[in-house]
Amino acid sequence: MECRNTIQHSNVPLFYFFTMDILIYGIVNSFSLALMAIGFTLVYGISRLPNFAHGALYVITGFGVWWFIHKLHLNYALSIILALILMGLIGAGVYRFVLIRVRGMATSEIIATYALGLAILEFLRWRGFKGMTYTLPVFIEGSIQIAGVPIDLQRIIVIGIGIVVISFMWLFTHYNKIGLALRGMAQDEHAAMMLGIDSDGMAIIAMAIGSILAGLSAIVLLPLGNIVVEAGYNVLILSIAVCIVGGLGSWGGAILAAFMIGFVQILTVRYIQSHFHMVVALLAIILTLILRPSGLFGRQKELEERV
Amino acid sequence: MAEKYEKVTNTIERRKERLDRGIKVRTEGIYAISSLEEVAYLVLPRLILIMGLLLLPAVIPSLYWKRVISITCIYALLALGFDFLANFVGLVSLGGAFYIGVGGYMAAILNKYVGLSPIITIPLATFSGAIICTLLLLPALPLRGVYFAIVTLMYPLAIARIIEALNILGGTDGILGVAGFPTRWIEQYIIILIVIFALFGLRRLVNEDIGLVFRGVKDNDQAVRASGLSITLYKSIAVFIASGLGSLGGAYLSHIYMWSGISQFALDFSIIPIAATVIGGGGTLVGPLLGCFFLVPISEFLRAFGTLRIVFYSLILMAFIMFRSEGVMVYAQRKYHQFERWVKV
Amino acid sequence: MKKKWFAVWMVAFFVSLIMSTLFSSEKANAQGKPIVIGSPLATAFLYGWDAERAIKLAVEEINAKGGVTVGKEKRPFKVEVMDTRDLEPGVPVSDALLVVEKLILEKNADFIVGGPVRSEAALAAMDLLSKYKKVSILTTGVLTPAYHKRVESEYEKFKYCFRISGEVGWMVTGEFIPCLMGIKEKFGLNKLFIMVQDVAHARAGGDIVAKIAGEKGWEIVGKEIYPTGTTDYSVGLLKAKDGKAQVILIWMDMPETAILLKQWYDMKIPALPFGTIIAAAEQPGFWKATEGKGEYCMASVVNAGNAPSKATPWTMKFVEAYQKKYGLEPEGYGTSSSYMAVYVLKDAIERAGKLDSDAVISALEKTDLMGVYGRIRFNPKNHQIIPSVDPNEGAVGTIFQWQAGKRVVVFPPKIAMGEIKLPPWMKK
Repeated sequence: MECRNTIQHSNVPLFYFFTMDILIYGIVNSFSLALMAIGFTLVYGISRLPNFAHGALYVITGFGVWWFIHKLHLNYALSIILALILMGLIGAGVYRFVLIRVRGMATSEIIATYALGLAILEFLRWRGFKGMTYTLPVFIEGSIQIAGVPIDLQRIIVIGIGIVVISFMWLFTHYNKIGLALRGMAQDEHAAMMLGIDSDGMAIIAMAIGSILAGLSAIVLLPLGNIVVEAGYNVLILSIAVCIVGGLGSWGGAILAAFMIGFVQILTVRYIQSHFHMVVALLAIILTLILRPSGLFGRQKELEERV
Repeated sequence: MAEKYEKVTNTIERRKERLDRGIKVRTEGIYAISSLEEVAYLVLPRLILIMGLLLLPAVIPSLYWKRVISITCIYALLALGFDFLANFVGLVSLGGAFYIGVGGYMAAILNKYVGLSPIITIPLATFSGAIICTLLLLPALPLRGVYFAIVTLMYPLAIARIIEALNILGGTDGILGVAGFPTRWIEQYIIILIVIFALFGLRRLVNEDIGLVFRGVKDNDQAVRASGLSITLYKSIAVFIASGLGSLGGAYLSHIYMWSGISQFALDFSIIPIAATVIGGGGTLVGPLLGCFFLVPISEFLRAFGTLRIVFYSLILMAFIMFRSEGVMVYAQRKYHQFERWVKV
Repeated sequence: MKKKWFAVWMVAFFVSLIMSTLFSSEKANAQGKPIVIGSPLATAFLYGWDAERAIKLAVEEINAKGGVTVGKEKRPFKVEVMDTRDLEPGVPVSDALLVVEKLILEKNADFIVGGPVRSEAALAAMDLLSKYKKVSILTTGVLTPAYHKRVESEYEKFKYCFRISGEVGWMVTGEFIPCLMGIKEKFGLNKLFIMVQDVAHARAGGDIVAKIAGEKGWEIVGKEIYPTGTTDYSVGLLKAKDGKAQVILIWMDMPETAILLKQWYDMKIPALPFGTIIAAAEQPGFWKATEGKGEYCMASVVNAGNAPSKATPWTMKFVEAYQKKYGLEPEGYGTSSSYMAVYVLKDAIERAGKLDSDAVISALEKTDLMGVYGRIRFNPKNHQIIPSVDPNEGAVGTIFQWQAGKRVVVFPPKIAMGEIKLPPWMKK
């Protein structure tokens, strides 16, 4: 049934073509994963809060922008900005009213955020956001060819925004006062508190930024397809995968992990079978936790994580 | 700034004091059998629980609600396992679905392909399910805290995808035509008896020597290690017990619905036991049980609201976590054993 | 302060709960005791609400005309829809089975029409239906041939289960292959690439198509199986382009099919997207959602009536009634079948003269009426509806193509409203 022979009989440029296509779509996939995961990584890195509502925040931003455009008839750009501001407020609110009470108890945090995520997603379903006809328009129409590989402009925007966000976060946490405070919290909470950095205040800011990043990734990635509630679960699992493989608390690790998982997924699809697309992510989590819980660059101390 | 300082120098006039009740003190030693009152104090709550559980199917008329009780008992087994692992051994396992799935598939395979009847498949599935789960979780056992939690959360998802991708064991259709129970009464009471035994068995276990080791592992595993005991061994025993309970539930599930499939690895089976433990009160073993008996029927009641049901459900869960995170049982036990009063300072 | 709010909240919640259960008791209808139809459906999904709406429409129409004649009296239908959530990931099938039991035991459903929608759940429900001896007509989702095969293999046990919607076996041999052959003849295409979802019905369908098409002169240049939730199809599409595929067979019921089609359009892959089951493209809102990028995509909606055509006089009447009530054309593939299921049930009850399961079963087996999508008859051995490409002979399917914002039915030829067109960038 499968005719891989046709490919092997082809001449050299075709082989080159395939490597280019893996490279390009691998990069796109990796940046998508990185964008999805960076919000989750941020919140976990800074306040050790696994935010299981991350997927829900992603989805609700998508529907929010859709609602602004179609029901309030606002301009696309304005809707995006409004949605992002709203997400920041929601994120801060979630911490201030819900998570602050369960801070420190890992299980309760997971359950509280998971329940919140579930409530948000099911609420969206109830409100009628079901079916496959909710979409967001792409930013720029059209597609181009890079080295013989056709790619649409929206995906190039994904790469672009990915680079911008990553650089911005790096600059923010290295040169901005608040960013440095966040980084300090991530490195050593107690030392930071001794220096007068307010743990709860930082956590609120972290949650707000994390939610905005979740929203941003939604805005950039959702025009590629449609907005469905089920995407929330997938985004959550992928974010956890990236975060864990990269090492909880390390942003460099998370980016690297995003690339690793992104390319492995594309390679698996290309050379083995597209079957295993999601299994890769799940196995990555399990293998990392078993072999090297601190992930690639995690800064957790050896004793804290395993006996 | 001056205001703050002033507040600090304000003296409090009364404080709340909590003391053990007289009757509790009296029942602690041999004086427990000195009068009916003391005996009742000790025995009554347990008696009410057992009688309540046993009489429940007889009292509830509707067949549908009887079925809900069976499902609740399956969740109760999972919740017991979760509470045991989390609060007595220190392992937060979010993988209840994993045990159910493994147990369910084992029972279905033993029944369909090997041809054994439910009376044999259930114990066999429990045992083999526990072995399989423990072996698969073995590499993850050294992990602590949140890491173990996430790994166990991922296990059922991964295995469901693997079964789907490799299309083994019936693939997405599942295994059908699994035998059911001979009569409704057996179906109903087997699980209730199992739950009662599991509950009291575990309570007994945690008070034995081995229970002490478990608690040591939870509190300070380095100390246990320093005593020359292998932590991994004890953790495996604990996981064996908990996964055995879960597999039992899974095998039972396969037989009452006469089917087994990848949806037995569903996330719901992981989340509800945790929710029940939170609501019912962790660390008490009976709390999660009551939590299930509260949560599952409420969830069924809420079906009338359609999709909004899950929203309400999650909100209840969040409310409990935020405001009453100690749980109902812990609160109840405290009230039962102790009383509070205002005392002048 | 905290305690007070918590207590207030809990009290309010419980009060509302008790009130709602008290007031949800059955009220006797003046017209005679209603016949209760229980519908276990995944109402938050297309393949759940398509059935829900159609069933409600049919029940409304029948009740407006006086109801069902049972023996000497006329009784109305009453429909109880319950959400099974069985299409949601993370929800165990036992939930769906619990819903079926709730409908039978608590809501006293006399008949089950509709779901469960997920194949695994429906197959497992068969045992339940047999246990409670309730007649059930499956109308949406569940495309697996295993369903009617099971009825045939254990007839006495599973005779209660009927299916009035399509199944993979016929869809492939009776509709997709002939349509493909039609395309081959008309345009001279012969290279096929297959993209299916990693679920049993899609994989099985893909395999059967590949085998038969291969025998009939098509060259299969590749096959890709995508797990549910895949968001990137670039590699597969490029493979197709590279293998010079001219038709891409798509069989997926996940929402990400919208991404697939958008990518196909953006990459300008020179192949016709032959969607067999392609969830995103079945809704009328698809055109607007993809801003026209889904043009030239073909899709099957299993039974006629789910897209406008003139299969029988009743087809357009149904489409217009649906449009009047819900404001849009029928969508999904369970719509016309659910509508017909209610009418078929009415017909069977009236012929049987009573609600007794065995009587209704023999009446259903003798069903022979002209419905929305052709002549409705059940195979008495396996209770599957008898299909055909001729509406006068059996149940007719529908394959349509998106052309200029409209869903134009292109197959079977007897009911076609238009011709298949190739995307402009394919003509070189």
